[in-house]
Amino acid sequence: MTAGPVLKIENLRTFFYSRSKQAFSRAVDGVDLALEKGETLGIVGESGSGKSVTALSVMGLVTAEPGVVSGKIGLKTDGIQKNLLQNIEDYVNMTQNNGRIMHVSKDNRGWQRHVDRHLRGVRGKEIAMIFQNPKASMNPFSSVGRQIQEAVLLNTSIKNPREAKERALYWLEQVKIDSPQLRYDNNPFGLSGGMCQRAMIAMALSSEPSVLIADEPTTGLDATIQSKIVSLLAELKSSVGVTTLLISHDIDVIKTLSDRVAVMYGGRVLEYGPSRDILSKVDNEKHPYTAALLASIPTARQIREKSYLQAIKGDVIDTINLPRGCRFYPRCRQVTDQIREQCKQREPDLREIASNQSVRCWLYFDA
Amino acid sequence: MRYPAFFKARSAMKLASIRPITVLISRELAIAVLLLLGVSFVVFLVLFLSPGDPFSSLLKEQMTSAAGSHPGESAPWYSQYLLWLANITRGNLGTSIRTGLPVLNEVIRVGINTLYLTLGSLLVTLLIAVPIAIVSARHGLTPVNWVLTMFTYVASALPVFWLAYIVIYISMHRFGLFPLAFGSSTQKWNWLHFMLPVLVLGLSNGTMGEVVRHMREELSRVFSEEYICTARAKGASIWKHAFKEGFLIPITEIIAAKIPYILGGAVVVEQVFNWPGMGRMAWQAAQDRDYPLIMAITLMAAIFVRLGSLIHRAVHIVVNPRSSRE
Amino acid sequence: MKRYTQHTTEFSDSAGVPFWKKAAPVDRVYIGYGLFIVLLVVISYILGATHFLPFDPQEINMDLLMAPPQTEGHLLGTDFMGRDILSRLIIGIQAYFLPGLLAIGIALVLGTCFGVLAGYWGGGLDIASTFLSNLLNSFPRLVLILLMVAAFKPNIYLVMAVVGITSIPTVASLIKSKIQFLKQKNFIEAATALGLKNAAIIFKHILWHNCRSVLIIQATLGMAEAILIETSLSYLGFGVQEPTPSWGNMVQSGANYFMQGNFWPSTAPALTILLTIMGFHLLGDGLNNILERKRDQ
Repeated sequence: MTAGPVLKIENLRTFFYSRSKQAFSRAVDGVDLALEKGETLGIVGESGSGKSVTALSVMGLVTAEPGVVSGKIGLKTDGIQKNLLQNIEDYVNMTQNNGRIMHVSKDNRGWQRHVDRHLRGVRGKEIAMIFQNPKASMNPFSSVGRQIQEAVLLNTSIKNPREAKERALYWLEQVKIDSPQLRYDNNPFGLSGGMCQRAMIAMALSSEPSVLIADEPTTGLDATIQSKIVSLLAELKSSVGVTTLLISHDIDVIKTLSDRVAVMYGGRVLEYGPSRDILSKVDNEKHPYTAALLASIPTARQIREKSYLQAIKGDVIDTINLPRGCRFYPRCRQVTDQIREQCKQREPDLREIASNQSVRCWLYFDA
Repeated sequence: MRYPAFFKARSAMKLASIRPITVLISRELAIAVLLLLGVSFVVFLVLFLSPGDPFSSLLKEQMTSAAGSHPGESAPWYSQYLLWLANITRGNLGTSIRTGLPVLNEVIRVGINTLYLTLGSLLVTLLIAVPIAIVSARHGLTPVNWVLTMFTYVASALPVFWLAYIVIYISMHRFGLFPLAFGSSTQKWNWLHFMLPVLVLGLSNGTMGEVVRHMREELSRVFSEEYICTARAKGASIWKHAFKEGFLIPITEIIAAKIPYILGGAVVVEQVFNWPGMGRMAWQAAQDRDYPLIMAITLMAAIFVRLGSLIHRAVHIVVNPRSSRE
Repeated sequence: MKRYTQHTTEFSDSAGVPFWKKAAPVDRVYIGYGLFIVLLVVISYILGATHFLPFDPQEINMDLLMAPPQTEGHLLGTDFMGRDILSRLIIGIQAYFLPGLLAIGIALVLGTCFGVLAGYWGGGLDIASTFLSNLLNSFPRLVLILLMVAAFKPNIYLVMAVVGITSIPTVASLIKSKIQFLKQKNFIEAATALGLKNAAIIFKHILWHNCRSVLIIQATLGMAEAILIETSLSYLGFGVQEPTPSWGNMVQSGANYFMQGNFWPSTAPALTILLTIMGFHLLGDGLNNILERKRDQ
């Protein structure tokens, strides 16, 4: 049993440069996460909060420029132990002004080459990823089964194509797809969204990874199919037990499947702790944003009485024009007069306030 | 014992996916034939409206050589067209005004020479353009890339006859070749005779810029598709996954689209190098007002273009699994 | 190493960035060069039309055969008959300028009609339009032009009309795909729902606001094509006849002298062709990159 988290993300920063606005979009701006072995960590947040970009940064799949600019991602499994962002300082030069990063120089091509080389044993083999749009995420020119077979051949010790096909069929059965033999030869466009997603899960798991990253696996599907995929993932969690990083903007999905949860907003983690505590309605969540999110979920009573839904006032923060103080301050409803100045001027850091629970809010600690 | 049902379903599915491909390809064939009919009509129209009235003489010739009955001179245009078309499809394209030889044989003879020139120069263009496109798509705009891109712009604007002059000059003075003595097999550098026109046309047919641009854009577009991201995430080779949509289909597409331009360039190149092909014959025929010949060459050129297009459609249908649903 | 700089230093709204700064440097070079060439062409056309030239392009000067550039006021030297090359080059523009505009006009106007018919109303019109486009695309331009030349008198305007007609499919398919794109974005549906009449939708919203960059780009490429065709044709001896100069026949008449080592009489017009066509191509591509392609995220 290796001690310590399987995946530890420290101070990850991923920026995108908008030439039309001549400014950085700070999609991920200092994120710290730790994924322990066997657990499912859920990342929840609205669109634009940086959740998907975090996942892509881990896998080195960010192609937009400049991309990942700083941070450390430690991967520690039985197989290997490495920093996925090793040597990033050699490729990136940043200059700051007033605590804000103003200039970035990055050797993009060199970094991409380095990452492709560095992550060669990691992608697929140690960390597997499934994506949001299953039909678009599979190669339309090749059959589904062949793609799973490819994953097996590349990432496991099986080198014989026929054995790989057997393994692919095995996994297709595991994801409860109907008539796996038939579906093996189907092209992705001939399958429904739900079946494609099952196939993608099969493809990811067939590589026998130590970590599974699921980027909005249910978002692109119909509501009824969503619940089927969620129960499939729950079953696989208990039967296969792979460590998972689950990303979604659907709070119910996160609540059902994850052990711990991180709430992201504006590229930062605002709250972090056991999902039981944070996401249950028992007022155990601390951060005002989490509270507002939970309050905005329509209750049965609201639906029956057709009363107004509790939306969060204001717009989701634009990661280009970031305020000086707390990022949620413009929309926060729990600001008191005592801390108002602090909320406006200084951004709180993520501090542990109870066992295993951290918040980024001035309400819970002094400067 | 659940297999019998599965086998039945499986063979039914296979049958359903085989049939549409042949259906689709035969549909493309039918469209090509219709288009060629349209082409023949346009050619007919041009000749019919010509003040020199080539048709009466043409038809008379065709009629006498086929030993058929004499059509009246004042026959309406559609019957003239049908008569002419009937002759064409039977292979009777009349005889050349200049040489008196039957046109069909002449055109086929030179057509093969031009085919060689066209395909060879296409290969040259692709051999230069495709690597540039691939490097551009993969690495974006680097100084080396920019130089290569500039090179393709210059190549696209280069007047093909001038490049031909330069090449001929060099071959005359360095290698002692005289292109007018084409075909003589006694000289040491004879193989150059066959290579030079191909090289010149391949380099300066004016399509290089478009080919690079098209291939680079399609490859870049495919590289940013989601399924390439998935392939990368599972450690697979993105080239393998991008090949069909990013390379195979675009290359057949651009070849089919650019064949007309290469044939046009061939006219000039054949004239300069005195290459006995369709282009030079067309030039001479235009000068001599040799209607049967120029008419046949136009038809032949259109057939080449349609063939290229047909091959592209066929590749597209075979490679793309979605096409069997359309 | 690529360098990115945050434009604003304050924690505030990043103000609108000027148009030309947004363009990549390479595109600015393309467009700059292209506009320069266009300017030269237009000025030369005017100079040629008004005969405001350094020398008479037909004036033969047997004392000064094949003089190198910068001899006695002949900025580009003289050709094998002592005629001033620069003046001949300027006059040569007459051969393709107006006919080229004709070709562009035909291609754009008729191409837009076909494209709108096919894209906006679709259905049978679409099929007919596609068939006609494929039909026009089946001919290599030069071969068809030779056919026309054999059948009718070799009139450059007729030739350019043919070039224009054979360019219709390109324009039509561009316009049609634009309209399909707008349709897919429900733009047209919304406009109809707002009560706009068809004509207003087509002319104002689709064409003017959305398609004009495409049409301008096609115009530049069309002029390049016109130059190519005209020079090839006059090289082959079918266009402008000696002694009237056209860039193509200038290259052709210098052929023998080229083989004897006197490169300049053929090379000067050839380089002019090269630089001019390149100018139009670069202009078209630069405009395309700025206006059409979204190089940013």
